[in-house]
Amino acid sequence: MNGQGSLPRQGGGFEREPARRVFAQELRESRLHFRETMEEKSPGFILLPTGVRANRVFIVGTLTEKERRGDQNLFYHARIADPTGTFFIMAGSYQPDAMQQIARIEPPAFVAVVGKPNVYESPSGAVLISVRAESITSVDAETRNLWILDTARSTLDRLDTLGKDEDSRKALEHYHTDPSLYRTMVYNALAQLKL
Amino acid sequence: MNLTEVVERISHKIESKGKSADKKKIEAKLKRLVEEFGVHITEAERTVLNEMAKEYSISSLGPRSAELKEIGTLVPGEWVTVEGKVVSLSSPPTPAIAQAGIIADTSGAIRFVVWARAGAPPLDQGLWYHFDSAVVDEYKGAPKLNIHSGTTITRMEQDAPLIPAVVKIAELGPGVGSTRAKMIQEWEPAHPRMLQTGLLGDESGTIKFTIWEENGKEKLTLNTVYSIYYAQVDEFNGRLSLNLTGAISVPEDIDLQVRSGEMISGAMVHIALGSGLVKRCPVNGCNRVLSRQNYCPVHEIQNTFRYDLRIKGVIDDGTKTHNVLIPREPVEALSGLILDKAVEIAENNPLGMDEVFFRIRDLLLGRYYTCRGSEMEDRILVKECSKRIYDPKDLATLLNRAGEVV
Repeated sequence: MNGQGSLPRQGGGFEREPARRVFAQELRESRLHFRETMEEKSPGFILLPTGVRANRVFIVGTLTEKERRGDQNLFYHARIADPTGTFFIMAGSYQPDAMQQIARIEPPAFVAVVGKPNVYESPSGAVLISVRAESITSVDAETRNLWILDTARSTLDRLDTLGKDEDSRKALEHYHTDPSLYRTMVYNALAQLKL
Repeated sequence: MNLTEVVERISHKIESKGKSADKKKIEAKLKRLVEEFGVHITEAERTVLNEMAKEYSISSLGPRSAELKEIGTLVPGEWVTVEGKVVSLSSPPTPAIAQAGIIADTSGAIRFVVWARAGAPPLDQGLWYHFDSAVVDEYKGAPKLNIHSGTTITRMEQDAPLIPAVVKIAELGPGVGSTRAKMIQEWEPAHPRMLQTGLLGDESGTIKFTIWEENGKEKLTLNTVYSIYYAQVDEFNGRLSLNLTGAISVPEDIDLQVRSGEMISGAMVHIALGSGLVKRCPVNGCNRVLSRQNYCPVHEIQNTFRYDLRIKGVIDDGTKTHNVLIPREPVEALSGLILDKAVEIAENNPLGMDEVFFRIRDLLLGRYYTCRGSEMEDRILVKECSKRIYDPKDLATLLNRAGEVV
């Protein structure tokens, strides 16, 4: 690491992809993934069932398990629970910062993860969505509560505009998204917080 | 409207130019468009008329002469006739354009271009004209009036007083606008032909402005309030900016309270290298961040640097990301780590300044913040910042929203 100037330029037309707020249950149900163009460096996206494309996600939950695997190619697997399910997190040697951050956090702990979702298909046809972490930091319970509110609001916003733009029409067509199912999920997630 | 009627009208127009019209041919062309291709009859009329005009080398046939409209009501896609005063002229960007500027009437103002191919006599600023059969299209999100070869321009002998509607910065929209604002920042011009660029503000918000080099164009003075008439409001990537090159800017002897900057709220999703403890060049007015080897890109090696704290980060609200630059005071307030302590850590730790970077990153990354600051280019220079607080009222609101159909 050097002291300065290593920030990739974010002006000049390149706009950083926002980190979508999504509950574990919705992310787990995502299947459709695509690239914007055929070029190698073109960003990859998954389409969430509530109708928005995600290149990056922001997750806050409870780190329940972590495991170090591989020896040449060292990487960490971790599980992070939110009120609706579990996120699968990976950090390998291409994410040295995230890897070393995970190494220092002992479960159980509240953590915040910024990362890129990927869809993996096993030869048997099973599908797994995992998030390749860019960073993982341990946070307090208040941040976790704020995230639940934030994610609930984002999910409801997406449901309100479902079918009104190209991506969300595509999501409806592909997933046959039932809004009431996701409203129930949001409601149940919120119900775990104290009024 | 039936076909015969349209055929009559087209042939009449051609005959009025002293040519003989082949009605059978006109009818065949129309029929083909309407019946075979399902083109709407008015569009078919326009197409055939243009085709015939070309065939007979008639230049100013045009469609049916359009009705007189108020400038404030123009929308893209129309053929219109308008009367207005040329309130501003600017130098045309390409030789294909003979003149560009703004014309206004009592209802509003619109940008116009006179295409070189129109062969029209030059318009004079401050005079009123009648434009018959001009075309409105859209340019950078705003309507624009095109004066082409089919437009008839007549000088009018009137000079009705025009009072442009002055609005607040937050109420400006793409097109042409007038406002009263204070110049609050001057930025480094990004282009050699740029005379001045910076930020204007009023009680409602701020907006970037640009003035391009042009004969007699003068710079604005910092911290002065101006009444700005007929500025070009451009939209790019959803943000507005003012081009004052053709505008009239009158300094006012008053002061304005400027609403300071942008407010953003979201999660800190990235803290870039170069954040934390930095060393700055001591040369008067330089202040650049030095490399680890104390190298200033301008003043070379500087071993008597001074330390500073800052964060170059990204705050993300889930739909948009904001690059933020947080200076020492808010960094100290958010992290609880004051500069002296940070220097002590760096000087007594094997990792040196990296240790401060790691500590600040681990304290701030992944948390929710609300920051206020001013936008400079693509970055928000943060003045104050606070951690977002959990409010049970938000929970109640969201539970109601989610429960609506559960």
